[in-house]
Amino acid sequence: MLVNFTPPSASEYIRVLPEILLTVGGTILMIAEGLAGERHRRGLAPMALAFLLLALGGAVVAGMDPGPAFNNMLTVDGYATFFRLLVLIVGILSVLISGSYLTRENADSADYYALILFSLCGQSILASANELIMVFIGLEISSIATYVLAGFLRNDKRNNEAAIKYFLLGSFATAFLLYGVGWIYGVTGTTNLQEIHRFLTSSESVYSPLLVSACAAMMFVGFAFKVSAAPFQGWAPDVYQGAPAPVSAFMTAAPKAAAFAVFLRVYSIAFSGLTERWQPILWVSAMATMVIGNFAALRQDNIKRMLAYSSVAHAGYVMVAVVAHSEAGVAAAMFYLASYAFMNLGAFAIVTHYVGKGERYVGIDDMAGYARQQPLIAALFTWFLLSLIGVPLTGGFFGKFYVFKSAIDSNLIWLTVLGLLNSAVAAYYYLRIIVVMYFHEPTNETGAAGPVPAGVRLALIGSAIGVFVLGVMPSAVLEFANRSAMLSR
Amino acid sequence: MHHLWLIPFFPLAGFLVNGIFGRRFSKGLVSMVAVGSVALSFAWALKCLLALAPLETPHVERYFMWIQSGSLAIPYELSVDRLTAIMLMVVTGIGSLIHIYATGYMHDEDGFYRFFAYLNLFMFFMLTLVLANNYLLLFVGWEGVGLCSYLLIGYYFLKHSASTAGNKAFIVNRIGDFGFSLAMFLIFITFGSLDFQKVFEAAKAVPVEVSAGMMTAICLLLLVGAAGKSAQIPLYVWLPDAMEGPTPVSALIHAATMVTAGVYMVARSAAIFTKAPIAMETVAWVGLATAVMAATIGMTQFDIKKVYAYSTVSQLGYMFLALGVGAFSAGIWHVVTHAFFKALLFLGAGSVIHALHHEQDMRNMGGLRTKIPITFAVLACAWIAISGVPFTSGWYSKEAILGAVHHHSPLMYWIGVATAAVTAFYVSRSMFMTFFGEYRGHAHPHESPPVMWVPLAVLAVLSLAGGFLFNVPHILEPLFPVEHGGHDIMLEIIGSAAGLVGIGLAYVMYVASPGLPDSISSSLGGVYRLVYNKYYVDEAYDATVVRPLVSGSRTGLWQFGDVWLIDGVVNGMGGFARWIGGGVRTLQSGSIRSYAAWVVAGAVIFIIAAGAIAGSNGGLR
Amino acid sequence: MLDTIFFYVFALLTIGGAIATITRRSAMHSALSLIVSLLGVAGLYLLQKAEFLFAVQIVLYIGGIMVLFLFVIMLVNLDQAAKERQFNRQWLLGLVASVLVGAQMVWMLNSAGVLSLPAAVPAPAATGPGNIEALADLLFREYLLPFEVASLLLLVAIVGSVMMAKKTS
Repeated sequence: MLVNFTPPSASEYIRVLPEILLTVGGTILMIAEGLAGERHRRGLAPMALAFLLLALGGAVVAGMDPGPAFNNMLTVDGYATFFRLLVLIVGILSVLISGSYLTRENADSADYYALILFSLCGQSILASANELIMVFIGLEISSIATYVLAGFLRNDKRNNEAAIKYFLLGSFATAFLLYGVGWIYGVTGTTNLQEIHRFLTSSESVYSPLLVSACAAMMFVGFAFKVSAAPFQGWAPDVYQGAPAPVSAFMTAAPKAAAFAVFLRVYSIAFSGLTERWQPILWVSAMATMVIGNFAALRQDNIKRMLAYSSVAHAGYVMVAVVAHSEAGVAAAMFYLASYAFMNLGAFAIVTHYVGKGERYVGIDDMAGYARQQPLIAALFTWFLLSLIGVPLTGGFFGKFYVFKSAIDSNLIWLTVLGLLNSAVAAYYYLRIIVVMYFHEPTNETGAAGPVPAGVRLALIGSAIGVFVLGVMPSAVLEFANRSAMLSR
Repeated sequence: MHHLWLIPFFPLAGFLVNGIFGRRFSKGLVSMVAVGSVALSFAWALKCLLALAPLETPHVERYFMWIQSGSLAIPYELSVDRLTAIMLMVVTGIGSLIHIYATGYMHDEDGFYRFFAYLNLFMFFMLTLVLANNYLLLFVGWEGVGLCSYLLIGYYFLKHSASTAGNKAFIVNRIGDFGFSLAMFLIFITFGSLDFQKVFEAAKAVPVEVSAGMMTAICLLLLVGAAGKSAQIPLYVWLPDAMEGPTPVSALIHAATMVTAGVYMVARSAAIFTKAPIAMETVAWVGLATAVMAATIGMTQFDIKKVYAYSTVSQLGYMFLALGVGAFSAGIWHVVTHAFFKALLFLGAGSVIHALHHEQDMRNMGGLRTKIPITFAVLACAWIAISGVPFTSGWYSKEAILGAVHHHSPLMYWIGVATAAVTAFYVSRSMFMTFFGEYRGHAHPHESPPVMWVPLAVLAVLSLAGGFLFNVPHILEPLFPVEHGGHDIMLEIIGSAAGLVGIGLAYVMYVASPGLPDSISSSLGGVYRLVYNKYYVDEAYDATVVRPLVSGSRTGLWQFGDVWLIDGVVNGMGGFARWIGGGVRTLQSGSIRSYAAWVVAGAVIFIIAAGAIAGSNGGLR
Repeated sequence: MLDTIFFYVFALLTIGGAIATITRRSAMHSALSLIVSLLGVAGLYLLQKAEFLFAVQIVLYIGGIMVLFLFVIMLVNLDQAAKERQFNRQWLLGLVASVLVGAQMVWMLNSAGVLSLPAAVPAPAATGPGNIEALADLLFREYLLPFEVASLLLLVAIVGSVMMAKKTS
């Protein structure tokens, strides 16, 4: 038996370079804390950053030599590279805003950074997974690490609640996904995405379309939960509100992007032959997600909860691109997720800094008069919020533009109309923050937040540049997304 | 290459310089940068236009490929044709004058540099809007001017009403933008491009019958966008409130330039509109209704700026009326002359307000004719122009519109004439209440400095002679051929008479027998209150749209979804269980369970749906 | 015939054990019921001639994991918790939900014709390399990467549980 065993080639190892670097990095971080002792905790964040930058380089190197790896378990194509880079950049920005937060909360620890690295490793696997087993393992690595991060400040009740909610419900939803995977294996005899597609479209195979539709629906439950699409969005506001602010920033961007990546890949490869069966379901879900997210955000007084609902709403816009089920739709979703990652991280970075010790200032009214205390930061916040609204010359505008263009190309006129109406409504609640910052008198309570720490500053500059580049010169990124959107079948 | 990009670039540079360093600059330096950048932009526009004359065909300059992806290719292109040329001159010319005026008017305000930075940014976006050669770039300018308008309305942010008004403007405009962006997508799928030349070529080639449905949809959506920006029914409600902003802003943005962007956009898209007769008719009726409604409200207001605000809404309605009946060049002519006399009215009102130390209520004015004579003199020019006194600028454009309307439908014509009389009446009323009779206020009026009245004088000359100097329909002949024959003397006499009647009535009521208005308004009772309260439109919107939306999102979604539905189901189940088991247990829903219930419910529904869509024929394939 | 009888016996053990696990109040009873359920599954594996899986099921789940469970239950005084009044016992809702989902599954499988398939043929007797070898072959060749990455999953889970268990400072 062992005679014809060929070990994986070097290029296959290179294709999983980011995962290897992230795992090694996380492990070293945990060991390093033990060796160096508690006094050297200041060095942890830079160390994590160094590993993330290495992994970023690894992802670029891996992307230069595309192809399958390890018996087709992973496939490194432009699409995978795009999402690997995206989640790693989100990781870098999140680490940048975490340092000062953790110091303020007296919770500096290598575990935090290690978990972020592990979570990113899971997401990186998701971005390139070509096999339902890999999808499941990647999803679990990413999720378990995030569950723990959500409850990182163990003395904080809100953290505990968020973590337990996320954990229980997440496991529950994943069970549906796993069940769907089991069934699809039972029907097709394979878990490889291309082979599932081949089986389902081949004229020779015998199977029950009803059963396959049910599989698609069950897997949808799992994915929809992870991307917080309706009606599985219930957990999102509670968890995003309860988790530590930098973790919320991370959670609303990276795991969501990775889940969308794999969602799109599974549905546009494995189930592409059954479009007309799952499209109506996704249509309803996309519409409901937008409506629930936007309308619920209208009356939130807690800034984190508002951004959480806004995150649900933005997932709805991406769902519109998924429903479009075309290469243009895939590219639009990729672009949207990238621009959302930047504007959302930027907004959360400011919130992370502003909430103060123990997250005391989480009300929108607490931002009163912020423009006069920190004009530059307020201007940046405004810039991110305008992007979230979708005002031209910001990344958010082009994101929406491509999403709705792809929808209308696929003849989804009504979904486009509803989506545009929704984005008109959305202006209202983002604007409220701007109004409070610029047009309200500061109260005695506010202004406790001191000068902005260097890490947050860097993250803000990075996000602002991201939003600007995607808004003013979107061509390069869109071109890349377009070229990578041709998912190989 | 004539480097058209420099025209919007100068104000942008002004914005950046003032925005970044303005805080450290002296007021003089800030004014110099702000006024200088706009003046340079005016000069450069003039130079380009002279070099490009006679500009029979559009001159397009491509700078770089902005977006290239798949079937979507949008270059960064600016273009000039005769329509753009007129708009360019109006925007930069009047913009310069208002900038100069503002350096005097805003002199004692806080955040002087901030004001001018926003104002320059506005100029940049407005010029982008006008120069754009495709719908997407136009939309960039379109949203940009809206944003600046919002910032400038809320400029006096310590006044609560100001920030509310800013909000209102932004949100109402979002509804308009929704229409515009949808129209943009439809244009793209219909014509495969967003480029003006390509779209209009394709639109001209389409016979009316073939795709009237799509054309009508596009045009009606464009109208929604235009109605938002140009304050037409039903989206006009933001403009009167926008007067909370400083007066130069009202003059520049909410009278002369930004609000005419909708008119410009419709005229620009004339090739599509002429293929959609139903949409054209709608445009005309919306315009006419707005004109009538706003003019009647204008008769009853006492805040001098509110009067002119409603007057602006009404005049914009006139422009839409012209567009709707196919008289695009007459509409644009009115844009130009209106920019002259309405900017002058606002700046003059600003001068009055300035003189009276921020008094805006006309009931506390009166008799100012002798106290601030220069202001009175220039305002009088605007007064006769807007009233349509023969051979003033307003008379020319108004007669052009009314002539075209008569050609289209006599009914609309007579309503238009009546509105013209009402217009003359309310403007005269404001003039008589302000400048005639006895002074009723307490402040000590003082004449404004030259930096403020010199621009006014220039505008006064333009208001009087503008129609005579600039024959816009003639300039626009290559773009919009004038169909109907020469002038009908009879119509011109009727139109002129309407204006004079309006002035005369106002004279009788407010100068000759001042007790008359009160007795009339009290005898009209309910009708007067209805009009005075602006037909209760704001209240109606608040009750039917705003409040249900905001509270509905709480009671509707949150309460219905989370509390009522889930807890109700859960508790109901609990009650059921209690009833069966007979046990006495307090049941309280934990939220994790609610969410889990959602997950299960969703899964059940989706799996059933997937099965149903797959068809109940469960067999194998 | 005998196989069928054994199948139903094991199936009954599995389901009965599972139901007892969630209905018993005492944690100790629940854990013991779970062992019964796992034993039933192990029996089903044996019927399928998957001896290795059978052994793993017994050794790992019952011998390892469940013993750990029992230790924890005995160390932590869970009986106290069991005596406390419990809120949120919406077992009826849970029942309805599971019956609904179950009915759906049955309906799906039934209409797909799975239930009316020809009677099960006994698994072919192992020929060539044994069960374990085949499994090893799959695990270390085709599924090498998932096998390795699963260790990362376990590492994350360990880090997470250690963190959760750490004394709060």
